[in-house]
Amino acid sequence: MTTTATPLLEDTPLGPEAGGLYRHQNIVTGMVAGIVLAFVGWLISHALLQGSNWGTDMVVTVTMTCWVIGFNAGIGTFNGPFRWLTDNDQTPEDELYAAGVGQGAKRYWKFCTDHKVVGTQYLVLVMVLFAVGGTLGMMIRTQLITPHSSFMTPQLYNTVVTVHGMTMIAATIIMVTGPFTNFIMPIMIGAKDMAFPRLNAASFWVVFSAVPCLLAVFFLGGVNAGWTTYAPLSVQDPPAMDTFALTILVFAASVTLAGVNIIVTIVTMRAEGMTMFRLPIFTWGSMLGSALGLYAMPAFIMAMVLMITDRATGTSFYVAAQGGTGWLWENIFWIMGHPEVYVILIPPVAAMLEVVVTFSRKPLFGYVIVIAAFVAIDALSILVWAHHMFTTGWAPDLSGPFMLTTELISIPTGLLFLCIIGTLWKGKIWTRLPMFFVYLFLWNFIIGGVTGIYLSDVPADGLFHNDMFVTAHFHYTLMGGAMMAATAALCYWFPKMTGKMLNERIGKVAFWIIAVAFQVTYLGMFWEGFEGMPRRVAYYDPTFLHANQMATVGAYALILGWLLLLYDIIHSWRNGTPAPANPWGAKTLEWKVPTPVPLENFVVEPVVTSDPYTYGEPEKVPSAKPAPEPELIPGGGGGGGA
Amino acid sequence: MTSGPTVEAAQGDGAGVARGAGDAEIPKPLFSRPAGKILVIWLIFTAIGIVLALVVPKHTFPPMLTKEGDTGVTTVIFFTIMAAPVAALVYGIAAYSLLAWRQRGQRDEPPEDGPPLRGNAPVTIVWLCVTSLLCIVLLVWGLAAMAADNQAPPGALRVDVTGQQWLWTFSYPGTGVSSRSLVLPLNRPVQFDVTSNDVTHGFWSMSLGVQVDANPDVVTTIYATPNKLGKFTVQCSQLCGLYHSFMYAPGAVVRPGAFALWLYANGASLRAASLDAKVKMTRADTATGQVTAAVGATPAGS
Amino acid sequence: MGVSGDEAASGNRAVSAKAKPLGLLLTLVIAIVFVVAIGVLFHERTYKSPSGLQVARSVGTVTVNGVTMPHVTLHFATFPDSTGSVNGVAIHPHGNPSWPVYGMTNVFQVPAHALVTVTVNQYDSGGSLNNPWFATVRGTVGGVMRVDGRLVHAINPNATAHTFTVRAAPGVDPGFFLNVPLPAVGGTNQSDNGPHHTVVFSFISGNKGTYAWNCEYPCGTMVAGFGGPMGTWGYMSGFLYVV
Repeated sequence: MTTTATPLLEDTPLGPEAGGLYRHQNIVTGMVAGIVLAFVGWLISHALLQGSNWGTDMVVTVTMTCWVIGFNAGIGTFNGPFRWLTDNDQTPEDELYAAGVGQGAKRYWKFCTDHKVVGTQYLVLVMVLFAVGGTLGMMIRTQLITPHSSFMTPQLYNTVVTVHGMTMIAATIIMVTGPFTNFIMPIMIGAKDMAFPRLNAASFWVVFSAVPCLLAVFFLGGVNAGWTTYAPLSVQDPPAMDTFALTILVFAASVTLAGVNIIVTIVTMRAEGMTMFRLPIFTWGSMLGSALGLYAMPAFIMAMVLMITDRATGTSFYVAAQGGTGWLWENIFWIMGHPEVYVILIPPVAAMLEVVVTFSRKPLFGYVIVIAAFVAIDALSILVWAHHMFTTGWAPDLSGPFMLTTELISIPTGLLFLCIIGTLWKGKIWTRLPMFFVYLFLWNFIIGGVTGIYLSDVPADGLFHNDMFVTAHFHYTLMGGAMMAATAALCYWFPKMTGKMLNERIGKVAFWIIAVAFQVTYLGMFWEGFEGMPRRVAYYDPTFLHANQMATVGAYALILGWLLLLYDIIHSWRNGTPAPANPWGAKTLEWKVPTPVPLENFVVEPVVTSDPYTYGEPEKVPSAKPAPEPELIPGGGGGGGA
Repeated sequence: MTSGPTVEAAQGDGAGVARGAGDAEIPKPLFSRPAGKILVIWLIFTAIGIVLALVVPKHTFPPMLTKEGDTGVTTVIFFTIMAAPVAALVYGIAAYSLLAWRQRGQRDEPPEDGPPLRGNAPVTIVWLCVTSLLCIVLLVWGLAAMAADNQAPPGALRVDVTGQQWLWTFSYPGTGVSSRSLVLPLNRPVQFDVTSNDVTHGFWSMSLGVQVDANPDVVTTIYATPNKLGKFTVQCSQLCGLYHSFMYAPGAVVRPGAFALWLYANGASLRAASLDAKVKMTRADTATGQVTAAVGATPAGS
Repeated sequence: MGVSGDEAASGNRAVSAKAKPLGLLLTLVIAIVFVVAIGVLFHERTYKSPSGLQVARSVGTVTVNGVTMPHVTLHFATFPDSTGSVNGVAIHPHGNPSWPVYGMTNVFQVPAHALVTVTVNQYDSGGSLNNPWFATVRGTVGGVMRVDGRLVHAINPNATAHTFTVRAAPGVDPGFFLNVPLPAVGGTNQSDNGPHHTVVFSFISGNKGTYAWNCEYPCGTMVAGFGGPMGTWGYMSGFLYVV
């Protein structure tokens, strides 16, 4: 029972000028400002630069940069810093407005600093990105249903492959740290919000503004080089490559900002008594995944900056004829690219561990081991990148060392499996929908992980590199593993985030369709790979026909499964049974606050006395130190009434 | 964890009494204990994995025509067999957890708590040792295979491979022959020197067990020794633009005599063709289409 | 379990029995329509060559090496840009007018196992091939072609304008290969209606299927000359359908 005297922060009445410029800004003003500034940028750059040697590339780069800056100016990303710099810092009332007070559902269309709003915005964005990427995947599989299809030109096919890849990579990078780390983690650690709430909102809207840059690829001639955009092919690609590069720059910047925010929040904003080793494992996973991202994303930024200069100003970092080398691109890209798959994997696995704990009713087996495994994966993933380059001929003498480090990564990954099955061991397995996806993860990630070991072995890699085997392997790990873990997290935290229970009957039907269709699709793809079908081809030898038919049929069924789950999400969000505050009987802090979660989360700040894995253990004797009286703890920022 | 004065109903940590091992005085027979049942499931999954390892590659891979290709396939089979017990253990425990520990009939309320097993040092150490050992075995295998593949015996046939958007051309130094088909003689080590005229391509043939990128302004090298007759396809494996799908070249491993004839038909002199193929081919042979001299014989006056 | 905040007010609408299946159907239909619409858009907007398909014209039958087969003809030209027009028809409408281009179309259709006689008018300037191998005629009947009436089997690799290089889609006909180099027009007054070389050659078409052709002379942009028109479908590349 809440003490009735304390008013809710979100009911604070605000003056008519609270929020300043924010009052008039939303996604529409952002788009208008972005389009206007892009047009101005295009006019000026076209007048000055078109006709010069690389004019089109520079014009595209300038135009898209102006879009990003204009959009963010229009939605209010720069308001906070601007006012701080001009000695007109935002007042507490302004900050309350910025946190969404008094705006109802409109706050989801605006720059809103409440971490829960940002988390929800990310959730919707991630689903939209998966829809776009999934549609493009359907285009690819439709092309491949017959060996020499006239569905798409090779040029469009290459572009679809590129944009499908990049969209999915972007979506999977943010699919857990965006929605769940933002929404759930601050509550989990007993904090009122993230360490930098404005930066949090900024990182969302910056990612949002990158999406049109990516889609512009289709209108600027397409990118022929795959999402890995190897040079020198990408250096000679149409101007679409410039907007692609800019998308990466903007996206990587956003992920870096978000990563910094996450780490600082976890390190500095934990509630009293919440020591680092009492943190739920999801927090550790978010932090360690973000830390790895801080290492990887700047490499991507650097690689793309050099790409833009090669294309737009005639430098020759990547062009062999002028003294550069495509190997430079490949190295920097994979220095980012390999850690990046662990940035994708670690947060969902950590979220999934919370699910395993709650639905086995047991403590996490090997809590410290899991943390050590995450740290080891972080460290080792920095040292393995050239296993993507075994066949490039770049450094044959380094094949052995990279094979060593890559095989070593299987050891901490194996420890993660130990801890999952150790948590299941003798548990009281409660088979609700989130747990279904956990079991699917176990099935899929073993296959994905083992096939990765084949690729880590140089002689086998010689057979399979750039073959459909690789495509099947990473779909098994990224989609079959990470995305299923993220879906488990979604089903788990859905009641807390939306206030509704997810309909499990529909969810389970969707689950089975997804589970079976996934195997059909990607085992078909492994078959293609074993037969020797290369990847990224629009036309293939008819001997691969049956395998491709299997994969395409599976893919169509798979999309139906996901659509059913999407329907379930939308339907439950709108009309579902209202959810209690703790439907799963879980012990982490987010389940101790009411649903819907009030602004700044805690009416009274919590004091933590143990970790959240006390299942099966006797209730701890409260410490001698008495809990502080409510009046001594501020109920949150801003003037809460008289 | 407790929050401040907001009091939750006591969370019945219910059956807080741990139910670990050692609760039975009489040891149960192996197959009625969890470990026994899991062993059965594990054996089944391992057997399935081993059968798949032995059957699937052989029936799906294209025919391997070189020693390196054979090594690749053997590696895949070996790794699958090594991985099967590990996968089976995870699948076995997961399956058993659903068979034995699933709370049936439980819908809306969470079940009672399970035993507070926060860790098990011996299990963890054993797991760590076994996985590390597996890792070392796979690593040693890989290093050995790599060392065997990277040899350039003297007298290897040299083939210069040039990739460009979107065709392969192969030249045989010393014969003046350039072709878009790759023809190789049986049982003779080959050294491929690969380069590109424009962007990065991938010189790849699964049947030959070779793959190395073709990079502009750089020559990369890879070796293979064909040990079976047959046809194969060289396919570009590195996305190289518009017609990447069409960048393939037909190839064949043929007897040395046939190889000499092919070189001659493509413009080599009688002498150069014979030298390159290491056969003694005569003008009469070119008319009949059969080289009659023994393989390895060198032409007169060489 | 646990306490929730104020629950009664928000969204507790009873769901009518019909709403769920209708909602599900609607979701599926909207999604499928969206995906199909994107597919149709991708196919229609990009697949067709801007100038349509040239079906080879039949001119009877012919006997080659003792085999009787249909005889068909094709015509095309290689232009230095697409600013001009032929008989009032624009060469490559909606394209980049400054790029060299094969015209009037880049998509051809011929019958299988037929003798195809091709006439090419070559208007463009040229330069050096990056691989002199492509300066030799390969895959034509007799391994030769006629340039302005003279029989040749190769041209100067340093005075090449374009090549017509054809291979089949994977698995259709691995042995088929055609490479016809097109000599450059010297001097400085090349244009879409200016001086040109006339190249005539014949080849025997292979198995039914899709064949891709492209030019192997790097006349494009960027360092290796393979950007721009060389890397954009429709200018220096196309399809040959063998039916």
